[in-house]
Amino acid sequence: MDLYAQNILDRYRTPFFKDKKIKADLKRHEANHSCGDAVDISLSTKGGKVIDFSFTGAGCAISMAAADMLGELVTGMMEDEILKLTKDDIYKMLGIEISMRRSKCALLGLITLQNAILAEQKKPLKTWGDY
Amino acid sequence: MNYRQDFPIFKNRPDLIYLDSAATSQKPQAVLDAVYGFYKSMNSNVHRGTYPLSEEATEAYEDARKTVSSFINAAHPHEVIFTRNATESVNLVARAYGDAFLNKGDEVLLTKMEHHSSIVPWLQLKDRKGIVLKYLDVSKEGRLIFDPKLITAKTKFVSVTAMSNVLGTIPDLKPIITAAHAVGAKVLVDACQSAVHIKTDVQALDADFLVFSGHKLYAPTGIGVLYAKTDILNQMPPFLGGGDMIHEVFLDHFTPGELPNKFEAGTPHIAGAIGLKAAIDYVNKIGFPVIQKIENELTEYLLGKFKALPYVRIIGPADMMGRGPVISFVIEGIHAHDMAEGFATKGICIRAGQHCAQPLMDYFEIPATARISLAIYNTKDEIDAAIRTLEEIYKYFNP
Ligand SMILES: Cc1ncc(COP(=O)(O)O)c(C=O)c1O
Repeated sequence: MDLYAQNILDRYRTPFFKDKKIKADLKRHEANHSCGDAVDISLSTKGGKVIDFSFTGAGCAISMAAADMLGELVTGMMEDEILKLTKDDIYKMLGIEISMRRSKCALLGLITLQNAILAEQKKPLKTWGDY
Repeated sequence: MNYRQDFPIFKNRPDLIYLDSAATSQKPQAVLDAVYGFYKSMNSNVHRGTYPLSEEATEAYEDARKTVSSFINAAHPHEVIFTRNATESVNLVARAYGDAFLNKGDEVLLTKMEHHSSIVPWLQLKDRKGIVLKYLDVSKEGRLIFDPKLITAKTKFVSVTAMSNVLGTIPDLKPIITAAHAVGAKVLVDACQSAVHIKTDVQALDADFLVFSGHKLYAPTGIGVLYAKTDILNQMPPFLGGGDMIHEVFLDHFTPGELPNKFEAGTPHIAGAIGLKAAIDYVNKIGFPVIQKIENELTEYLLGKFKALPYVRIIGPADMMGRGPVISFVIEGIHAHDMAEGFATKGICIRAGQHCAQPLMDYFEIPATARISLAIYNTKDEIDAAIRTLEEIYKYFNP
């Protein structure tokens, strides 16, 4: 069986950012109830820049690997830049073909992250239809 | 007898291994023919015909109602209301019956193994009217625990599934219904999963309401059934308003039509009802004893295979007692979605997720389950293929 690209499987098995202890000032929980994926993302920010990232969650390999790789992508990024990230950026980051039925898995981390920031900025939150 | 050959999809997709019949069943040729036949040579609207063609369509539509009526042993065909699906049927009851007869503080008793379609309409009624929801518990083995103390003088309505779409459990409904009636509560039975596997008898059950969807019973999507006792339907105000459901309409008031039209506003899914009749005829021709023999054998075979895999945890009854051919399972460390993806690579369709039963997932403290559900067209070879795939999936994640 060859289910997922090695990079996805590796990050699922040995994540860098999962359960990492950080001093968080932003937190957000989002879930994908139909498939049973859930993530909590914590961010430590300074002057609008993400300086630390951590997540916890339970979900499929794609959702967990995507959340973990997101940590690398956004550490050092400005909040406004993060809000501009799109579905394509995530697919590029994952480096694999994402089928329609797995798109929510791939994007769960991003929606959680962007909503963490939007909630803080008291702006309207993203919904799945926005991606 | 090989019933698989009655289902054209398996000819058109020879490699398909379809183990998701609890989501929707495949359709036999007889059903496709009935639907096509209607549009091909009988198409016209019902109940409004001033010409023979429409009379024929009306007769076929009402004949479908009669077939459903005897399939569930209703006392009268007008106790069968055609809806879009089980979900709409429950909503009709919660709206029309609930709004008219339930009040603040009244208790509605559900179970923790209900589908969202039997929970959310009552949560909505709770928001509208301040009713109180209570839930019968489920045991760790996936059996319904009937605690009679949960039926009180305040209980006005009970809604319970005849077969769990997650656990496969077939609860013993009779004691619950008897206890509910003893305090004057009405009972709705969700036969959405059970209708295709076991005999439905509304009179033997003494159910006040019973709902199911055609599409899980070899019939087309878009056609569902609400059964209710005549006197209840007569007391209930109509649900949707419009054509067909009225007797007279004036500028400032209307009078509702007779049963069953009173609850069937607008042009119904005529072809769907005719397809449902064909599906029921198909099931009746095989008969439940034969259906159960096939499905029980497959289910027992699958449960046996699962038991030989120590890493598979069955969510639901692990033996054949009081269960149907719907089997949920989890594997520690492998999310159900990843399992489903593994199955998909081999052309095997299984379901993964929460199965519209989030409260049940919360109760078992699992994010999701993988689910195999079986029907008369499945084979042991397909189960063998699924088990081989599951072993591969396990090895993939635990090299
Ligand atoms: C037990 C049960 N009840 C109700 C439903 C709702 O059926 P539908 O979506 O056809 O309305 C389902 C479908 O999944 C079910 O399994």
